[in-house]
Amino acid sequence: MNAFGSVVYDSPITKAWLPVWYPQGAWPEIACSRLDGLPCEPSLLAGLILSPGEREYWESMRAVEKRRQEWLLGRCVAKEAVRSLLERNLDLHLEPAEIEIVPDPYGRPHVRAALRPCISIAHSHGTAVALAALDPESRVGIDLESLAHRREDFEAIAFSPDERSLLAALSPDLRQEWALRMWCAKEAVGKALGRGLSAGLLAFHIIRFEASSGAIEVELRDGALIQFPELRGTPLIVYTVRESNFVFSAIIHQQGAVRMRPSRQEILDYLLHKMGELTQDWDYPDPVGPESRLFTELGFESLDAVVLCTAIQEHYQTPMPFAELLAEIGQQQRDLSIDELANFVDTHLGGGGGTGSITRRVQ
Amino acid sequence: MPNMTEAVVFDQFARIVAKSLRIDASQIAFDTQLTDLGAESLDLIEITMETETQFHIFLPDKSILETAAEVFGPGILEKEGYLTEEGKRLLLCRMPEADGGAFDGEVAIQDLQHYFLKVGTWVRMIQGLAQYTPAECRSCSGPMATSMGFRMKCEKCGQEITLRSGEEINREWVREYYDREYRSQVEATVSAAAVQ
Repeated sequence: MNAFGSVVYDSPITKAWLPVWYPQGAWPEIACSRLDGLPCEPSLLAGLILSPGEREYWESMRAVEKRRQEWLLGRCVAKEAVRSLLERNLDLHLEPAEIEIVPDPYGRPHVRAALRPCISIAHSHGTAVALAALDPESRVGIDLESLAHRREDFEAIAFSPDERSLLAALSPDLRQEWALRMWCAKEAVGKALGRGLSAGLLAFHIIRFEASSGAIEVELRDGALIQFPELRGTPLIVYTVRESNFVFSAIIHQQGAVRMRPSRQEILDYLLHKMGELTQDWDYPDPVGPESRLFTELGFESLDAVVLCTAIQEHYQTPMPFAELLAEIGQQQRDLSIDELANFVDTHLGGGGGTGSITRRVQ
Repeated sequence: MPNMTEAVVFDQFARIVAKSLRIDASQIAFDTQLTDLGAESLDLIEITMETETQFHIFLPDKSILETAAEVFGPGILEKEGYLTEEGKRLLLCRMPEADGGAFDGEVAIQDLQHYFLKVGTWVRMIQGLAQYTPAECRSCSGPMATSMGFRMKCEKCGQEITLRSGEEINREWVREYYDREYRSQVEATVSAAAVQ
C-alpha cells in the first residue's frame, strides 16, 4: 500500500533487466512502478495526487474518458516511482502532489522535484508503468503493449525486411510476441531519447534480439541520427519481458559506456557471489574471500575455471581473453586469487580503478 | 483517386478510425485529435494501414518537418524544441490550408505533433496523396486494382503502374523548396557579404 491507498508494486520487469547490468540485482538509483486500473474514483484521485497545474490540465483535457483515466494512471505511477526513488536514496519524503510532471517542448515528461530525476511513463489497456532514474542525465524509456486484438500484418509497416527476417524463423505464437517486443523496444528508445518515433519507424533499427534475456539491440539510422548524431554506432540495449497478455520494454541509457561500467568493488562482489553459487556444495574450512586462491585453496579444476570464465563473460556481455590468462598462470605454475581475477575483469571492461559506478558518481 | 472532396475523404476516414478504435463515428470531428479518441501508437499503425488500403495511397512514415530536417540539417527548422521562423515558413508553404493560427507565435514541437494527429490534418494529407493515384487506366480507361506492394494494375488491359509513396513525394517537394526558397536566399546573403 502507498500514500494514496493503492497497491503500487515494483514491476517484474525490474527483475528481467537488472541482473545483466548490476551484479547484486540491486540498483538503488532507479525505481519502477506499475498500476493495473484506477484505485479510486478519478476526480478524487486527481484531487489527491495532482499539483494545481496538473489538475488544471487534467480538467481541461478534451479526450475520451479512457484516455483521461489512463493519463491519470500514468501520473500515479510516475509520481510513485519518483517518490520511492527520492525516499530510498535521499530519505526525502514527498507527497505525490509535490512532484509535478510537465512535458518539455518535445512532449517528453520532466519531473519538477528535488534533483529532477529522469522519468518515462507508458499506459495501455488500463495498465500504466513508469520508470524513474536518479541521474537526470540518463535516458530512460519504458513501454507496454497488449497482445490482444493486434493485426498480424502490422509487421509490414512497422519493420524493415531485415527486421522481419529476424522474426521469420519463429513459430506463429512466438512471432507475434517478438514482433510486439520489437515494437515496444523501438518505442522505449524513442521515449528515452525524448523525441518519440518522429524520425520514422525505420530510423530505429533492430539489429538482433536474445530470446533468453529478452534483450533487443536497437541502432539509430537516418533521421534519428540527425537528431542524435552522438549516438552513431552506439548499440542501444532494451530489455523486454512478456507477462500474461502484456509485453513490457525498458531501457536505461547512460551517456557513454564508462558510466555504466561496474566499479572494481562491484566486480569483486559479483565474483564472490558467483563463487558462492558455484561452490555451494563444497565444504571449505574458511570462508571464501578476495584472497582465496582458486586452485589450491578452493579446489578448482580447469573445467570449473572454464565454467566460471564463461559465466563472467556472459554476465558482462563482454568477451575477455581468459584462455590466455589461464595459460599464463599455468606456465608460471602459480595460482590465481579472486582479487586478481577481479583485476583482470576490471581491466577488460575498460577500467583500471576508475570512478566506475554511477552510484558513487550520483552520491 | 483524384478529385475526392474533403467531405468524402472525411466520412471514409472517420469510418476507418471508428472501426479501429471501436467508437462511434459521430464522436469524430475535423479538429479532433486521434489520441484524444483513445488511439495508441499501434492503433495509429492500424489506421495507417487501413487508410492506405482503402485510398490506394502510401502515407509518409514521418512528418514533413522530419523529412525536411534531413535536407536542411539540424537546428535550421527547429531549435531546442521550438519551430524557427524558417520552419514555420516551410510548413505554411507545404500546408497553406493549415488552420488559422496553427503556426503563429511560439510553436513547440509538441504542439506540432498534436496538429499532425488531428483528423483534419490526416484528411487533407489523404486528399493530397490521392491525387497521385489514378482512378482509371491511362491506356484503356479500365478500372485499376492494387497489385503487389506499391503497384496497381489495370483489370482490363493489365497495364501496371507504380504508385509514389508519400515519403518520396515529400522528399521531392522538400528538395525543390530547398533549392528555390532556401539555397538561393543563403547564396544571396553570402554574395552580398562578399560584395561588401
